[in-house]
Amino acid sequence: MNLRRIYLACFISVVASWLEPALSEAANIRVVATLPDLKALTEAVGGDLVEVESLARGDQNAHDIEVRPSLMLRLRRADLVVRNGLGLDFWAEPLIAGAHNPKILPGAAGYVDASRLVPVLGVPTGKLDRSLGDVHPEGDPHFTLDPLMAPQVTANILEGLARVAPQQAGLLESRRKEFLDRLQEALERWQKMLAPFKGTRVVTYHDNRLYFLRRFGLELAGTVEDKPGIPPSPAHLAGLMRKMKEQKVPLLIADPFSDRKVAELVAKEGGAKLLILPPAVGGAKGVVSYLDLFEYTVAALIQALR
Amino acid sequence: MRAPNWYLLISLLSGLVWASSSQPALSGELEALKHELEQMKQSMEALQERIKRLEAMPAPAAQSVAQPPAASPPTPGGAQPSIAELARPREPFSLYERRGPGQLLFDIGIVGDLVGNVVQRSVEAAQGGTFAGRENRFFPREVEVNLFGRIDPYAEGRVRFEFAEEFEDGQRATETKLAEAHLTLLTLPFGTKLSMGQLPVRFGLLSHLHREALPQPDPPQVLLRFFGEEQFRESGLELAWLPPLPFYLEALLGVFNGDNEVAFGRGSLKDPLLTGRLRTFFDLGESGAIQVGLSGATGETGEGRRSILAGFDAKYKLTPVGWRHTLFTLAGEAIYSNRRVDVLGDPDGDGVETILDTQTWEGFGWYAYGEIQPWKRWAAGVRYDWTQFPADPGSEWALEPYLAFMPSDFLRFRLGYKHAERSRNLTRSQSGGSAGISDEILFQATFFLGAHQPHPF
Repeated sequence: MNLRRIYLACFISVVASWLEPALSEAANIRVVATLPDLKALTEAVGGDLVEVESLARGDQNAHDIEVRPSLMLRLRRADLVVRNGLGLDFWAEPLIAGAHNPKILPGAAGYVDASRLVPVLGVPTGKLDRSLGDVHPEGDPHFTLDPLMAPQVTANILEGLARVAPQQAGLLESRRKEFLDRLQEALERWQKMLAPFKGTRVVTYHDNRLYFLRRFGLELAGTVEDKPGIPPSPAHLAGLMRKMKEQKVPLLIADPFSDRKVAELVAKEGGAKLLILPPAVGGAKGVVSYLDLFEYTVAALIQALR
Repeated sequence: MRAPNWYLLISLLSGLVWASSSQPALSGELEALKHELEQMKQSMEALQERIKRLEAMPAPAAQSVAQPPAASPPTPGGAQPSIAELARPREPFSLYERRGPGQLLFDIGIVGDLVGNVVQRSVEAAQGGTFAGRENRFFPREVEVNLFGRIDPYAEGRVRFEFAEEFEDGQRATETKLAEAHLTLLTLPFGTKLSMGQLPVRFGLLSHLHREALPQPDPPQVLLRFFGEEQFRESGLELAWLPPLPFYLEALLGVFNGDNEVAFGRGSLKDPLLTGRLRTFFDLGESGAIQVGLSGATGETGEGRRSILAGFDAKYKLTPVGWRHTLFTLAGEAIYSNRRVDVLGDPDGDGVETILDTQTWEGFGWYAYGEIQPWKRWAAGVRYDWTQFPADPGSEWALEPYLAFMPSDFLRFRLGYKHAERSRNLTRSQSGGSAGISDEILFQATFFLGAHQPHPF
């Protein structure tokens, strides 16, 4: 037998096994979350047992993520993918399909729907079509902006992590509990801080803060975008500004990617302050964890409402 | 014999590597089973405890029917559950039952692509406009019904029907056809996927795209001349591989009938059309990205002669940080054709043409376009085409500026002006018209109903 050929065969096998490393007990679980909040919650559960990436950044509009092949590359190596589940990350479907990774296909062990069993708000009723704009037929997908959704969302993530790394299940569960205890403490503090402003009516640019407002006792007076994804008509803006003046709405909350000119005009003519808040983890400087997101948001709200 | 031993060695070694890489997976499954059993045991113990407590309670007095649990969490005015309470396992009946798309088990989408054009009468007479035979008309270029979804855990499928006004054999008619029908196996090893059926061949940047997905109202001239108006659609198999490299590289290999009559036409797996493509992609910071591709195809024409195509394409997009849409796109593609063509003649004057010789025709064509989208709803661009003809002498060029307006993601209008000049050989037709120089106004309206997948990069 030719020794050179034997060595070549060995080399090919070694390279092949290097290129496709198996998930061993020592290796971290490679997770790709479609959205930064899901990344943050996965990190909270997984700690140093997981390596998590997010396909979207916190300062991006989650509805408008570009389908780039480089994102497929991240999914190619993933053991687990965590998805929103209510259509907010619909752009992830061709990415997951193009990643050639059977472990993370819908229905596979490495696929997590974070919205499973989450009590969803804003489910459209009646006739449903795109005359209503770019609606989410399964309900409002921005559920991570309510801290009380974290138990169910982290339970879904934990289930997924336990499926791909069952030997770590016990440790992951205790980390989840630890995180939820910290979140409970922080939630009570945030609710106390915002208690003086309970019942305050605010306007948001896009209809993405319903969960947050409900949780912290604020009320939604209206939205700049009367139909999601459709630029507001002058008639709608005029009506909104009039309503804001009549009801003395003190605040208009917008996102970093909202149309700043329109937001400033509506705030000015409506007699309200304009507050730009991060829509997700990573959406502002210093907001690097799930707790940071609410610390920042609550502090900014209090300052704006005083 | 050396060769069989060599292959046996590689197979054995590969099997060993594969088996060793499967070991963690097997032990992982065992651990998963153990964990599930443990959980079931705990649940049963908890249930037994509850039953004991219920049996120990006195019989309740008659009371009104309890309200069913609320479908949503309590209002801000009521007592709110704590995180710890929510973290305990709950019955799912109090939570929202999902409804919405997906309950039909597959998605349905409709795309309507309507086009119109105004062109000189001489060009109309020569049937030399962009939409040959349909000059100075407004018509449905393509109305497609897409049905797509997962077949089972292992495969997805897509079927597409097309309805279009077409021009064939001197007649306009609304045609119905099966445009696509294929399945893709998703769970093959080594990062591969296999598609089979009637599908668009992924050669180059644009030839496989649905017409409504093209960046301008009409396809570039090189694609029209090299693949025809039907684009590059074939029946066969296509294997896609995403090797585990630190950068993105997609490799495609196809085996098809060769049904496209403009580029090939053999139509048989006995002399199959073979296609290949390599596509790579790089992020240039957070704002920019570039995609580069190489494509090749070799097959036989209807006359049994060899036809070879080779292509190079590149696309750059700039999306500034904080922008909701792409600001600037620059893309282009070049295709080279090499085919053997029979030279026919009637040397003995009996009215019967015979093959006198076989020659090699080389053809080359390219296009480039740039588009700027300063606002979400408005975009403008310009495309330049230059192409020879793959099996005839002559060449043509065209310049097409265009404007696009998108009231939403599901509705789009485009207006373009196209100036084209062709070499003298193609300026005459039997009706006496002339398409040597054409100036066209092109109009396009496109709408999307139902499910519509995001467009690729």
